[in-house]
Amino acid sequence: MPSQAGLLPVVARATAGARRRRAWAVQVGFLLMAVLAVLCAPLVGPTAISLRQVFDPTVAFADNVDAQIFFIARLPRTLAGALVGGALAAAGVVLQALLRNPLATPFTLGVSAGASLGAMLVITLGVPLTLAGVPAVPVASFVGALAAVGVVYGLATMRRQGLSTNVLLLAGVTLNSLFSAIILFVQYLADFAQSFQAIRWVMGNLDVSSYQPLLWALPMLLVAAAAFARLPRALNVLTLGADSAAARGIDVLRTQRLAFISASLATGAAVALGGPIGFIGIIIPHLVRLLVGADHRLVLPASACLGAAFLVLCDTAARTLLSPMELPVGVITAMLGGPFFLWLLVTRGGGPR
Amino acid sequence: MLRADGVSFAYGDEAVLDEITVSVSEGGLLGVLGPNGSGKTTLLKLLAGLLTPARGEVSLDGLRLHGFARGALARRLAVVPQETELIFDYTVLDVALMGRYPHLGPFEFEGPGDLDIARRMLDATGTAHLETRPFRTLSGGERQRVAIASALAQFDTDVSSPGRVLLLDEPTASLDLAAQLDIMALVARLREEHRTTVVLCTHDLNLAARLCDHLALLREGTLAAAGRTDEVLTRDTIAGVYGVEADVHRHEATDRLTVLPLRTKESA
Amino acid sequence: MTRIRRLLVVALAAWVVVLTAQNRPARIVSIVPALTEALFSMGAGPRVVGVGSFDRHPAEVETLPKVGGLIDPDMEQIIALTPDLVVLYGSQEDQVAQLERAGISVFVYAHGGLTDTLATIRELGGRTGQDVPADALADRIADQIAQVRSRIAERPRPRVMLVFGREPGTLSNVYASGGLGFLHDMVEAAGGDNVFSDVARESVQLSSESMLTAAPDIIIELSYDERMTPDRQAAEREVWNRLRAIPAVQAGRVHLLLGNEFVQPGPRMGDATEAIARAVHPEAF
Repeated sequence: MPSQAGLLPVVARATAGARRRRAWAVQVGFLLMAVLAVLCAPLVGPTAISLRQVFDPTVAFADNVDAQIFFIARLPRTLAGALVGGALAAAGVVLQALLRNPLATPFTLGVSAGASLGAMLVITLGVPLTLAGVPAVPVASFVGALAAVGVVYGLATMRRQGLSTNVLLLAGVTLNSLFSAIILFVQYLADFAQSFQAIRWVMGNLDVSSYQPLLWALPMLLVAAAAFARLPRALNVLTLGADSAAARGIDVLRTQRLAFISASLATGAAVALGGPIGFIGIIIPHLVRLLVGADHRLVLPASACLGAAFLVLCDTAARTLLSPMELPVGVITAMLGGPFFLWLLVTRGGGPR
Repeated sequence: MLRADGVSFAYGDEAVLDEITVSVSEGGLLGVLGPNGSGKTTLLKLLAGLLTPARGEVSLDGLRLHGFARGALARRLAVVPQETELIFDYTVLDVALMGRYPHLGPFEFEGPGDLDIARRMLDATGTAHLETRPFRTLSGGERQRVAIASALAQFDTDVSSPGRVLLLDEPTASLDLAAQLDIMALVARLREEHRTTVVLCTHDLNLAARLCDHLALLREGTLAAAGRTDEVLTRDTIAGVYGVEADVHRHEATDRLTVLPLRTKESA
Repeated sequence: MTRIRRLLVVALAAWVVVLTAQNRPARIVSIVPALTEALFSMGAGPRVVGVGSFDRHPAEVETLPKVGGLIDPDMEQIIALTPDLVVLYGSQEDQVAQLERAGISVFVYAHGGLTDTLATIRELGGRTGQDVPADALADRIADQIAQVRSRIAERPRPRVMLVFGREPGTLSNVYASGGLGFLHDMVEAAGGDNVFSDVARESVQLSSESMLTAAPDIIIELSYDERMTPDRQAAEREVWNRLRAIPAVQAGRVHLLLGNEFVQPGPRMGDATEAIARAVHPEAF
């Protein structure tokens, strides 16, 4: 029987200082990993570029192919990968704790289906290119995501005071199926090329080729991050159940609401930026718990960092492996994530042991 | 003193409790008894402030429960649910430290004092040696003891602070015999050594007879009997509430009442 | 003797004519847009009784029953139209088997390059008894393309990237022609060098980096959306300005060509090739 939860050792009779130092070490370690990934990824790619040429001030940017490859083709998508990966992993952590279900993902509550439907409608109906200067597809997917979680939240709070996590889960799953059916219907009516574009959107793509989409997503992600920062200790206690949490002085409804809204906001923004990239929201939190234990004060920031690093890595593979072809990044995360998750299920048993 | 004064409660249209008045004095041990569905757990949740009564009110030392700030109440009143299930691999120490929630700010890490209290409570419940074990790998009895330690860790340690109340919901329901005895001994000891007021609800009449000095007997949401244990636990009240003919006598070794159910009234 | 011989020959010829007339399908269903159009172009239009959901050309198809497409052929409706020839996609194996079980002839369309398309048109003519007009149609297309080739023959061949799919308003999910298929053939015929000719596929999904690295002199973007407003066309071309290091972008040589003739290899293939050539070599026209 292991005498610890997590692979990084928990020392028996550890002092408060030792525990705090361990927490700092874990957080700094994971942060370094994310920073390293973001710094290295733009240096890697199918085309050999010279850093000296990239930063050569004597060549105009418009003529500097190396600089454009670095600053337009690689850096924005690396940053997008970090933001999307971090947001999805953190949202996964929060939703798993909120729903008290280790199999929950950021998309369990209908976010991805809502976002896909929004994107689909814009792609197939040929809605004008931009809404107030923002491309219509991300706007529509964000609106679709929020509409879906809005419906789910409304259903979960309708029957009685408080937030029923069971209703939340069931409504989310049902809404996912319902939206998928509507998506198929819209696709059925759409032209072939349009439905193909829509299907491709669902596989995720971080090639934003500009900094604008990042700037649009950033405020929402920052708001979500600020909410996440308040949550970890309450999430720990919430995993004991709503009554036990309330008995420890937690305002359960407020905490659940904050968790739900911030996770939805983060997921919606991430999906609008990169499409519904799967598996990150579930494998990263589990991997982190495997490494550092269950305490959300470590799991939440570490997952955000590892999610960022992981997606940046997957996306580097997506744009490099079959060059000049681009692989859908969602396919890579799923191909890495699927087997890993099955392995986790078999070796860790999933439930109480 | 914890007191429920004429409390009523309903889930939607379904009335669960009607005009219940019970109280437990400081350092006392009140058992809430009754058949399944009689409203025991609901009464416990009302006493804990987890539910708000539709009518009547619950007070702690004369102050309305809902007048307390959440944290302030949690530092004086703790609840141990029937079973504690965790979905992630928290260590035993992690779980005990969750009791320190009402003592810490949102971004605060537990200090040496918090750690010391959590460990003392693990010690008091005989689970200190399990500190680094994942909670989910423990036996039912061990889990129950750790859950009690976590609840105890909630309390203010300041000796001058007013008394604290521990509410236990079916503490032995899913435990084997040895673990049941352990928990009973633990509750008795806590009461004596830690000046803790205890309310426990149970359907185990012998457990109640063994531990409690006062009982409240519920039947279909109404108070069927209340008072000192030997006044409440009689053949007549048991027959009235449970519909069971039982033999009640004083056990020689423990000097406590024991209840031996004989047959249901219909078959009599 | 010679008279008898001559009679025999005539009789044989008559028999052959009767036979072919009997084999000449009278009710045709086509769910392949390019071939529906070809059927009309070769004079088999009056015998077409059902078309695919995505068929738009010629205008006559609008009044015919729509029976689904590549993903969702409505077999019940197709069979209810009592066709004696169904034109469908090679990938629709189940449907082909189903129709053959029902004793209905099928003509299976295989996607390919320019020469494959011409051969397909001739073959379809043979199957529908329109050999002569089908050959004439194929010859006309081949001739059109040959004329385009000769116009640009002596000219330098700029590097062309032919884009046929992209998420609107962004440079995400860009699909371009690889080194196989009729799009690639059209680019080559129009006097351009396809920048992805060494990728042995019909389509390539591109990243911004691969487009920057490919550095085409000309970008030709195809869209079947004929009704796209001028504003929107300008906005879609504008999107390319993000990749200013691409010579095509710098030189303002990003062309948007609208119409489904560019994405469906059919009778208007010659027109499509000429339109591409005009974009690649405007000075030659």
